[in-house]
Amino acid sequence: MQVQLRKLLSKKELLAVINEVIGAAGAPICVMDHDERLLAGVEINNPSHKYPVEHETKIIGWVSGDCKASAIASLLSYQAGVEVQKKTLARETLEKYKEITLLYSIAEKITSCLNLKEVAKLVIDEANKFIGATGASVMLLEKEGGKLEIIAAFGSDSHPEREINPGEGIRGDIFLTGRAEIVNDASSDPRYVEGTDKIASVICAPLKIKDSVIGVISLSSTVPVTYTAEHLKLLSTLASQAAAAIENARLYDELRETFFTTVHTLAETIEKRDPYTAGHTRRVMEYSLAIGEHLGLSETEMTTLKLAAILHDIGKIGVRDSVLLKEGKLSDEEFNAIKMHPVYGEDILKHIQQMAKVIPGVKQHHEKYDGRGYPDRLKGLEIDITARIIAVADSFDAMTSDRPYRKGLSLDIAFEELKKHSGGQFDSDMVNAFFMAYEKGKIVL
Amino acid sequence: MSKILIVDDEPHIRLLLEQTLEELEDNGVELLTADNGEAALGIIRSEKPELVFLDVMMPRMNGFDVCHKVKNELGITNVYIVLLTAKGQEFDKQKGKEVGADIYMTKPFNPDEVVEKAKEVLGL
Repeated sequence: MQVQLRKLLSKKELLAVINEVIGAAGAPICVMDHDERLLAGVEINNPSHKYPVEHETKIIGWVSGDCKASAIASLLSYQAGVEVQKKTLARETLEKYKEITLLYSIAEKITSCLNLKEVAKLVIDEANKFIGATGASVMLLEKEGGKLEIIAAFGSDSHPEREINPGEGIRGDIFLTGRAEIVNDASSDPRYVEGTDKIASVICAPLKIKDSVIGVISLSSTVPVTYTAEHLKLLSTLASQAAAAIENARLYDELRETFFTTVHTLAETIEKRDPYTAGHTRRVMEYSLAIGEHLGLSETEMTTLKLAAILHDIGKIGVRDSVLLKEGKLSDEEFNAIKMHPVYGEDILKHIQQMAKVIPGVKQHHEKYDGRGYPDRLKGLEIDITARIIAVADSFDAMTSDRPYRKGLSLDIAFEELKKHSGGQFDSDMVNAFFMAYEKGKIVL
Repeated sequence: MSKILIVDDEPHIRLLLEQTLEELEDNGVELLTADNGEAALGIIRSEKPELVFLDVMMPRMNGFDVCHKVKNELGITNVYIVLLTAKGQEFDKQKGKEVGADIYMTKPFNPDEVVEKAKEVLGL
């Protein structure tokens, strides 16, 4: 490390000490930096003595004057050494601190993420920033097959594309031993399996939850590099955070799955009251999702749409059997009773906080784009987009399904009906999206 | 010559901030330090730094008090004050605003962010 005498003497305390010593010397003294600029004392022409200020045999300045200048030169040399030591320590500490700060921010990012693939991707991206690799991967143990499957990967680590057995290759072995390892000369390692990419170096750590290994994270390089113990320590720290985040994401997925199954079961239970509407819920959900996908809805919007589609008729539970199951024409009073089901749907769902976004799709699915629907006679864009989508899907399925008192309409006629009411009963954007999705084969009848 | 004052009662934070800002010394910036609020106040009065990194949690006179005194009672307005607060600690943003702090940063601080802020404030 370099040290400049000028910088050293910019510290007021040291300069004060030096000035004091110069004053006490009683003779002119001159302190200059290595290219002879005056830093303290007075300029002296042809001094009798001139002593170098040195740090590790490098001359960083001069002190000249009489023989007492020697003591000042020694003092400054010593001080330069101390300064370098201090700076070296400070620099190392700062490096460590930067690492901690980064780890901290990574931990924040990954623990706030609940998507398994995203967590895995995030972890390898961040690890790559630290460690430097031409490829990286996260592999997890499949619960059923008992094999290791790639969850996220890039570059030289994307191979093989199939899952591997525990114990197979370097990553497979580390999964079994549960111990992080560096293999800087991969091809001569007995566990090395020739992949599509020839990798030169690997650094790999197990992903552990308590004592069980759930997968591995590895980084590799196609050009020989020397991964260090420092890298390994960092990767292990990252791996333990990643494992926790991955476990969280998995649990969240399971919870979500359970939730959807419960909602489905609930909807189907209600559907069972009317055997002729069997499968209606599932089909409305599928058509709605096809429309939503074509419209490019976000993941969250799609989830809301899915739930609203599944639950759109949930309020029918509040409609009497004698009305709901009646064959033939309904009286006005009976029809009014049926028309209450979107409102009942809202009443049921409003008690579940997580369903807040789902309610508009349920309550408004009988609203019409031209404002002639029910229950609130909403119009155009006043109607929630999920409801505008479900309206198309629901009507299409109602038209094409068989009923006890009538056969379902043919596809052509149903398509004609949708077109005829596009822009009237239905939002034309939704009808168009329906046809586009149908043409692309996304709507399976 | 611009001056930056670093105020924290923890020596390692002072050291780290000094080391972080060391590169600015080449641009003629002088780094000053203080380990408590009262000392900081004295240095702000006498040295008139353009920028102060000021820890909030300090014994005796805390960062809020120092900031309030400087910006309101002493009326020194041409100083940019960055409050440093510990992560996880409830930080009263409203109070930070009231006492006249310019911004706040959380510890562990991001060294790059600190340098960037210093350069911005000093116009380097």
